Amino acid sequence: MSGAPLLAAENISVAFGAGARLLLAVRNVSLAVDPGEAVGIVGESGSGKSTLARVLAGLQLPTEGVARYRGRAIFEGESAYPGAMRREVQMVFQDPYGSLNPRMTALAAVAEACRFHERCSAAAARERAVTLLADMGIGVGDAVKKPRQLSGGQRQRTSVARALAARPSLLIADEPTSAIDQSAQAQLLNLFNRLRSGGLAIVLVSHDLAVIRYLCTRVHVMHEGEFVESGETYDVFERPRHAYTQALIASIPGRTRRTAATVSGTNRE
Amino acid sequence: MLARLPTQPQALVEVSDLRIGVERSGRKPLVLVDTATFGIARGEMTGLIGESGSGKTMVCRALIGTLRQRGAGVLSGRIRLGDLDLARADEALWRKIRGRRIGYVPQSALAGLNPVMTIGAQLAEAIAQSDAGSRGDTHVRARELLDVVRIRRPDVVLGQRSHQLSGGMRQRVMIACAIASNPELIVADEPTTGLDVTVQAEITALLRRIRAEMGVAILLVSHDLALIDEVCDRVVVMHAGACVESGRVEDVARPRHPYTRALNRSRIELAAPGGELVTIVGQPPSVGAWPRGCRFAARCDIAQRDCNEGDHPPLVTVAGDHRTACRYATRMVS
Repeated sequence: MSGAPLLAAENISVAFGAGARLLLAVRNVSLAVDPGEAVGIVGESGSGKSTLARVLAGLQLPTEGVARYRGRAIFEGESAYPGAMRREVQMVFQDPYGSLNPRMTALAAVAEACRFHERCSAAAARERAVTLLADMGIGVGDAVKKPRQLSGGQRQRTSVARALAARPSLLIADEPTSAIDQSAQAQLLNLFNRLRSGGLAIVLVSHDLAVIRYLCTRVHVMHEGEFVESGETYDVFERPRHAYTQALIASIPGRTRRTAATVSGTNRE
Repeated sequence: MLARLPTQPQALVEVSDLRIGVERSGRKPLVLVDTATFGIARGEMTGLIGESGSGKTMVCRALIGTLRQRGAGVLSGRIRLGDLDLARADEALWRKIRGRRIGYVPQSALAGLNPVMTIGAQLAEAIAQSDAGSRGDTHVRARELLDVVRIRRPDVVLGQRSHQLSGGMRQRVMIACAIASNPELIVADEPTTGLDVTVQAEITALLRRIRAEMGVAILLVSHDLALIDEVCDRVVVMHAGACVESGRVEDVARPRHPYTRALNRSRIELAAPGGELVTIVGQPPSVGAWPRGCRFAARCDIAQRDCNEGDHPPLVTVAGDHRTACRYATRMVS
């Protein structure tokens, strides 16, 4: 690690509308992501977290502030992540239905991305796509299916495989676990964890504190466009200082669980 | 020690051997639920949990008589409410049950509320359906109901339409509609899914309070084990159209079905950060392509060869009213 952050956003604000209808979706937030680090942004609907994710991914021009990737501004005029930077930052969304072509098999979708990024032959792209999907736990049998024939978890892992086709250094994931079952969530998080250990930096945007706590070393709590609390995940969860963070943590179901010890401890074979 | 299940004498609703499916001309029906067996005790909160596609929403629809809207119907089995068998109820009977004896709170309150009617008009409709509708002032009753679900400024809200309310407020209104007739049972199908964490906690607290104050039984459908663990007295676990385990929450916390155990172990909120999370191998079998024998066998870590034979195993009693549909449940002890 060079010591310099991979991604640094400074004093980012995003406003929509104007005049009396002006809405400040993001208010003066700053964050840094080191190479290979997982950073969480947690907040509720309307908190501005998805807008911020879109800024970091280069999909939304901030009204104020500057975001830099490897020290270079990601927005040059209206265009974002110019040149080779483009492929280094990839994004996955909550609903992989919206980002996968319904007529294309999982394999074709990933192969297309490989071909686009690697400029290789169709055969080589297909071979790499098979490997990428296999890494995501999607075998050849499922890879030839179309999105609607796949489970929600498989669709989400397909969209991750497609993002990885670009060999990114940073993955921005906006609520990737929200639309899938618990076991599929666990599968996706295992995958993210493995990718992160392999050097991929991840910005994880979620309303789910359990998911953030599991994956991220640092967390920013977002409320009404602002970061109300930031810190090491463990500290924020164990000793929340801001009243909003405290309310958020108190709302997690299972905190007054009557059966805690038996769930994870006993019943082993 | 495994015996065929006895019936619960005190249960408000008893669902037994319920099969739900879609009739197809010239072919066998497409079976969606086979089989559901569980009881809902008076005044208790019962959780119904399972992955997407496990059939839990179909069971809800069977309990409120709206299977036909999805082209489905009860193929066989019973849903006993008092001395009625709702599995055979016609629409005329359902009109006396639905919204009167059994209330319903859907997943998305937007789907349940009429966008062009005011909240007041919709509450009045719910009140008119109930026996209480004939007595007293509807407006007073509507205000009272909004008060029960802790909606502030009820007079303003009565004149508003659903799009003017937040997701949490809409869900409160749905709950107000569901309790308008003092029902014996409320079926709540994922009532907090899609709501913010803090709002989820408020709605959950509201359901608990209503249950305590009104003594109404609640069937809470969720895919969130932590939620069910926290608020329910009993839990019913569904996998691929079948009830595979049921019992008191504290008993099921020591699962006697490998699927429940796997669900418990894959809980993210209980995992050590960054540790390997337990996952359930494979996918649940799809509707129409269920294998012979136990439908969890292909994903199970204690499956034996004969698990793939015969019918899906029936529920058998472990102890008390703790039941499992695993033939090898005893292997999970110790």
